[in-house]
Amino acid sequence: MPTLIYKSLFLTVFVSLLLSVNNSVAAEHNHQSASVTAALTKETPAKMAQTVPCAETNIVCAKTVTSAFAPNGDLWRLWAINASLYFQISTDNGLTFSASSRIAIDKEKISARNENRPKIAFDNYQGVYVSWASPKEKKYSADIRFSYSSDYGKTFTKPVTVNDDNLLTGHSFNEMLVTDEGDISLVWLDSRLTYQLRKEGKPTNGSALYLGKANYRKSDLGFSNEQLANNTCVCCRIAIDYNNQGELAIFWRHIYGDNIREFALLTLANGEKVQQVPYQISYDHWKINGCPHQGGAISINENNRYHLVWFNQGDVGKGIFYASSHDQGKSLTKPISVGVQAAQAAHPHLNTNGNNIDIVWTQFNGTEHELWHQRSPNNGKSFNNAVLLATATEGSDRPFIIKNGKTSYVSWHRPKQGHWVQAL
Amino acid sequence: MKFLKNIHGVLLVVCLLFAGNAKASSIEFNKQQLATIKTQNMGKQWLMLLWSVDCPPCFKELAIIQQLQKQHNDLAIVIINTDANDEINAERDDIIKKFELSRLSNFHFIDGKGAQSRFLIDASWYGELPRSYFIESNGKFHGKSGLVNQAMLRQWLLQ
Repeated sequence: MPTLIYKSLFLTVFVSLLLSVNNSVAAEHNHQSASVTAALTKETPAKMAQTVPCAETNIVCAKTVTSAFAPNGDLWRLWAINASLYFQISTDNGLTFSASSRIAIDKEKISARNENRPKIAFDNYQGVYVSWASPKEKKYSADIRFSYSSDYGKTFTKPVTVNDDNLLTGHSFNEMLVTDEGDISLVWLDSRLTYQLRKEGKPTNGSALYLGKANYRKSDLGFSNEQLANNTCVCCRIAIDYNNQGELAIFWRHIYGDNIREFALLTLANGEKVQQVPYQISYDHWKINGCPHQGGAISINENNRYHLVWFNQGDVGKGIFYASSHDQGKSLTKPISVGVQAAQAAHPHLNTNGNNIDIVWTQFNGTEHELWHQRSPNNGKSFNNAVLLATATEGSDRPFIIKNGKTSYVSWHRPKQGHWVQAL
Repeated sequence: MKFLKNIHGVLLVVCLLFAGNAKASSIEFNKQQLATIKTQNMGKQWLMLLWSVDCPPCFKELAIIQQLQKQHNDLAIVIINTDANDEINAERDDIIKKFELSRLSNFHFIDGKGAQSRFLIDASWYGELPRSYFIESNGKFHGKSGLVNQAMLRQWLLQ
């Protein structure tokens, strides 16, 4: 009998302790809630992609797809299969695509799943830029790789390694922007400091945020390597955009204090790190010594307002949140909830276009993945009802919003079903 | 007759080999498997640990399980890989071997069915990792995201 009492007591105490740190416990958060009434304008049956068997290099078999519009209005899509990069070009906004082309470089491993994927960008002179992370022989080690085409994809340069530390350690989650003149900004998560600290037997916490710059058009071929921040989360994508002064803004998941995972924002002035401390953007208090696998998104409009979206599961805020800032993140509008938290709303992305703020995200209804869209027609002051755009049954890549002039498009890859592009 | 005896001997050896490796390879996770796991563990406190090859902290928790397992036989632990991606099958199996977890029950989410599998276990879990479920002897689940320390695991599994 005493044993039984002891066991009951132990169980009560243990579960209480567990629940005190268990982030699945429902907690009220202090954010406003946006309207999420569903207007069921789902894809028409004719457009619904059926599950198809995988041919070897077919985009259907890819786990991720990256899309971007070139300055001439062509839509490019890029994917990785069997240690190779493939692309296709559409001249009709994604209705039809050219035959797939393999980028003619030596085969090497390419990270292409979940938060990690190759990137593509363009300049105004027929230049096409691709970058990716290439895993090395040691677990969690990779290099940031880069290749350039000066002839709109006919030929590509021999890939170079962007990180200059020559260490067998982590360099991953690359993001890339290229200006019209060919100025390349590549950011990534870098473990060189962690590597050194571990060798010295010192404690480590997260990765570091690095920036590399080069210009292949101007024969500035050597990528700089500059550390911008330390103690970043190690497994979430980074988000970047230029503001209206052409300054690079970087939005990422940072580690604050004892494994509090919140989003941080840093803007470089004329390419230099003048702002010494990044602004903390989210205060949702997600304490997790683990991998959220959920990065955020940033888009800056013509009036230099920064629009931000992120996901957290903290004990203060849970779900997707949207907010904006007129002063580069120093102050922030009150975050509003997006999507249905109980329906697994996750993986948000956003883009601005004129006064429109478009947000897309995925939900899961127990059987199917759902792609949702919500638009603000007035710079984020209010939002229209959320709209269900498409569904997937065999997995879901992250959705992204890309722009072609005044029209925004959603790009959503559905493994084994196909790549979905639709005007918003 | 002698031939039959020899055959019996060979079959016995084969059966023993299979029995020894009964849990060596990972099994596809589905609704029926989950029901079986729950039934098999009813009446005892057990742990369900979910991990991915893309989750560095998961490896720390696998290492803790490895240490505990060296000290104690028959730990009530079920391990589930959440990658839902056939491309990582070989890597997953290597990791199970590296951390000497083949004696435990190992499952993996079916390719393309990550969300469906998560939903079966816990509709309120978003896939962050590592994810540990502490399950009471009456079958009640308590989920925790993030690395769990050794003391907590030891307390749950060995009390």
